[in-house]
Amino acid sequence: MNQNPFAALGLPARPDLTDEQVRAAWRAIAAATHPDRADGGDLAAYTAASAAYAELRTPWARSEAYADLAERAARGGDEPDTSPLPVIGGPGPVPVPPWQPLLAGWQLPARIWRGRPLRLAVRGVIAAALSLLVLHMIPGSAAAPADVFGLALWFVLSGRRDLAPPPER
Amino acid sequence: MTLWSWLKLFVALWLLRKLAKITGWLLVAAIAVAAWPVTLTAVFAYLAAWLGGWPPVRLYRTAAWTLLVTGAWLAVQEARLPGWAAARMPGRTWADGWRHLAAGPVADAFAGVAPVAVPAGLALGGLLWAWRIYAITTGLAGITASAPIMFDARQWRRQVRTAQDLIRAPGAVPLLGRGGVIPVGGTIRAIGHRWHRVFSIPDTACARHMVVVGSTGSGKTNLMIRLWAGWFTATLQRARTGQGYRPLLIVLDCKGGRDARSKAERTRRLLYGAGARRVAIWPDENRLNLWELPPQDLAVLLYQMIDTGTGNAAYYADILQAAVSLAVTAPCGPPPNTAAFLDRLNARWLQNAWGSGQYPGQFEHVQAAARHLPDIQLRYATLLGRLGPGLDGPGRLEEADAWYCILEGTREPSVAEAQAMALTELAAHAATALEGEQRAMLLAADDYSAVSARVPLSNLYERGRSLGIGVQVSAQSWQGLGATEDERYRIAATADGGVFVLHTPYPEPLVALAGMRRVLETAHQVTGNAWGDEGTTREQRAWNADPELVRRLDVGQACYIHRGAATFVQVARPRPSPLTLLPAPGLDVPDWLPELGREPAPVPGTGPATWPEPPGLDDVFGPGVS
Repeated sequence: MNQNPFAALGLPARPDLTDEQVRAAWRAIAAATHPDRADGGDLAAYTAASAAYAELRTPWARSEAYADLAERAARGGDEPDTSPLPVIGGPGPVPVPPWQPLLAGWQLPARIWRGRPLRLAVRGVIAAALSLLVLHMIPGSAAAPADVFGLALWFVLSGRRDLAPPPER
Repeated sequence: MTLWSWLKLFVALWLLRKLAKITGWLLVAAIAVAAWPVTLTAVFAYLAAWLGGWPPVRLYRTAAWTLLVTGAWLAVQEARLPGWAAARMPGRTWADGWRHLAAGPVADAFAGVAPVAVPAGLALGGLLWAWRIYAITTGLAGITASAPIMFDARQWRRQVRTAQDLIRAPGAVPLLGRGGVIPVGGTIRAIGHRWHRVFSIPDTACARHMVVVGSTGSGKTNLMIRLWAGWFTATLQRARTGQGYRPLLIVLDCKGGRDARSKAERTRRLLYGAGARRVAIWPDENRLNLWELPPQDLAVLLYQMIDTGTGNAAYYADILQAAVSLAVTAPCGPPPNTAAFLDRLNARWLQNAWGSGQYPGQFEHVQAAARHLPDIQLRYATLLGRLGPGLDGPGRLEEADAWYCILEGTREPSVAEAQAMALTELAAHAATALEGEQRAMLLAADDYSAVSARVPLSNLYERGRSLGIGVQVSAQSWQGLGATEDERYRIAATADGGVFVLHTPYPEPLVALAGMRRVLETAHQVTGNAWGDEGTTREQRAWNADPELVRRLDVGQACYIHRGAATFVQVARPRPSPLTLLPAPGLDVPDWLPELGREPAPVPGTGPATWPEPPGLDDVFGPGVS
C-alpha cells in the first residue's frame, strides 16, 4: 500500500475529491510515465500511480485513505493538506468585437437579395403609396406623420420575415 | 282577470321585452356608427382573425404595437400645441375627427383619427373574437348542434394554413431566435402555453431530457435535426460571448442503413452552416478510440458488451469478467487496441504480466481462469471483429464539434447494441474528463429502441442527467420507448425538456402528460336540427392535447407537451442561412487539435507511441496455448 496515495497522484490529501479528479490525475501520470513510451517511461512511478488510483477510485476508499493519513499525521505531527481544490478550468470569456453590430447592417442587402425581394418590394410599394396618400389627404394634420410612422412600422415588422436570416442564425 | 285583459298584459310584456332588446341594439348600432373608424377596424380585425384562425391574443398584441402610432401622434400634437391637450380632452379630439367626416371624404376622416381608432378597433376586434370563440366552444352560440365541432375543424384548417404560410418565409423560422431560443416552426394552436406566431423552445430544454415520438414519415427526423442545429447554434453563440462552453453534439442513429447516411450528410451540411468546424461521421469516415477509457471502466464495458446468461451461465460470466479485468488492468497498463487486448487473453501473457510476485492474488486468478481463456478470447475476437475498426482509434470525441454515429440496429442488432454501449461510455467519459476543454454536450439517440435491449433508455438518460449532458431520445411509438409499461412511463414522465408527439396511432399515454383543462359544456334542447330555447351548462374536463387531433396530425406537424400544456406546431424544415459565414469572433480551434480522420500528430510526453511485445513472451502467443 502507498504511504500517501494522494501524493502519488499529485493530489491534495482531501476526502472530498471527486472520481473525475482522481481519474484525471491518474491519466496524466500514466500518460507521462507509461513503460511503453518511446523513452521507456518510469515504471516505478507508473506502478505507484496505478496502485494509488486503485486505492482512491471510490469515495469510500478515499475517505479511508484520508483517515489513515490523518491518523499517521496525528502520530507524526504532519497534518494533511486542507487547502482549497484547484478550480477546474474552462475556456475564458471571448470578447465580442465592437464592430459586430455594424456587420448586421452591412449584410442587409445580401439578406434582402437571398430572401424574398419581390415580396419585400411589394410591401415597400404598398407602404410608400399609402404614406403618400395620407400625406396628400390630410396635409398638415398631426395624424399624417403618425400614420406614416405606423406604415413604416408595419413595413419593418412584417418585412423582417422576408429577409434571409443573418449568418449566425 | 278576463282572458282579454290577460292577453293584453301578455302582449304588452312581450312588446316591452322586445322594445328593450331593440333599444339595446339600436344603442349599440348608434355607438358603432358614432365610432365608425373603430367599428370598421374591429370588423376588419375580427374577419382577419376568423379567416386566419388567429387567437385573440394576436389582435391584442397588434393593438399594443399600434399604440406606438398613438404615441407618435400625441408627440406631434404636443409639439404643435404644448400642454397635452389631446390626451387631456379625448372627447374634443374625437369630435374634431368626426367633423372631418362631415367636411371631407371618409378616407380622409379615417386617416385623421387612425392613430387612436386603429388600436381601439384592434382591441375591440380581439374582444369580440374572444367572445365568439367562447360562445361557440361552450355551446352558447351557433345555429346547429354541430356548430362547435364544425367551428373547431374549420379553425384548425385555417390555423394550419396560417402556420404553413409563415414557415415558407425565409426569415420567419431561423435556426436560432432572439434570446437564445430555438425556433421550431409556426404555431398552429397553443393550449395552456403562451401563444407566439413562431413556436420556440429555450435551448436549455435540449440540455435536459427530451423525448420525440412519431411514426415513420411523420417528420421526426426533420424536427430532430432542427433541434440539434438550434441547440448547436445557441450553445456556440453563448460560447463566443464567453457565457458557456463550446458545444459537442453526439448523435446515435440507431437504425442505420442508407437512409442514415443521407441524414448524416444533411445534418453535417446544416451544422457547417450553423458554424461547426468539424462534423465527424462514425464509423464511415472517422474512428473513435475505445481503449482510451480508464482501465476499470474499460474492463466493465468490455464485460458488458458480451452477452452473458443467467443461472448456470453466471459462473462462466464471472470467469469472463475476471479474465477481462486481469487483461485490462495488468500492471503494464491497459491495452491500446483490439489486437493487444486479444493478445492478453492468453494464460502465459497474463501469468507473465502478473507473475512478478507483487500480485499473488491476481496470479492465482490467472491460473484458475487459464483453461477458459481461449474460449473467452474467441468470443471477444468474434465480437470485436464484428464491431469493426470504428472503435480502435485514432480519434476522440473532443476533436470534433459533432459526431454522427451510425449504428446498424436494423441489420445487426447485437453489434449495434455493443456499439451503443461503447459510444455512450465514451460520451460519459468525455463529459467527466477534467483534462482538456470542457464542453456542453447533447447526446441524441434517434430510434434508440433498436438498440435498447442491453442498455435501457431510462439508464441512458438517467446517466446523462447525472453527468450534466442533455439527452434526447426518439422512438417510433409509445411501445418503442421501453420494454415495459413502467419503463415507458418513467421515460416520458421525467422528460423535463418536453415531449414532442408527431403522428402516431397510440398517443394516449403521451397526451395524458399534458393533462386536462376545465371547459364548459352546454346541453340544449334540440328542435329538429336546430337548438331550442332551453338548456343547461356544466363544467367538464377536456384533453389539453386531444389524442384524436394528434392521431390526425399531418406530416411535419407536432404537438409539444410540457408542464401540463400543449402547443401544436408546424415544424419548419431546417435551413442554414444562405449568406456566407463570417469568421467566428475570437473562437479559434486550438492548434493541438488534429485533423479528423488522420493520425494525430505525436505530442511529446503523452502516451505510448507503440505497444512493444513484453520481453520473453515471443513464444506464448501461438494458437492453442493455455
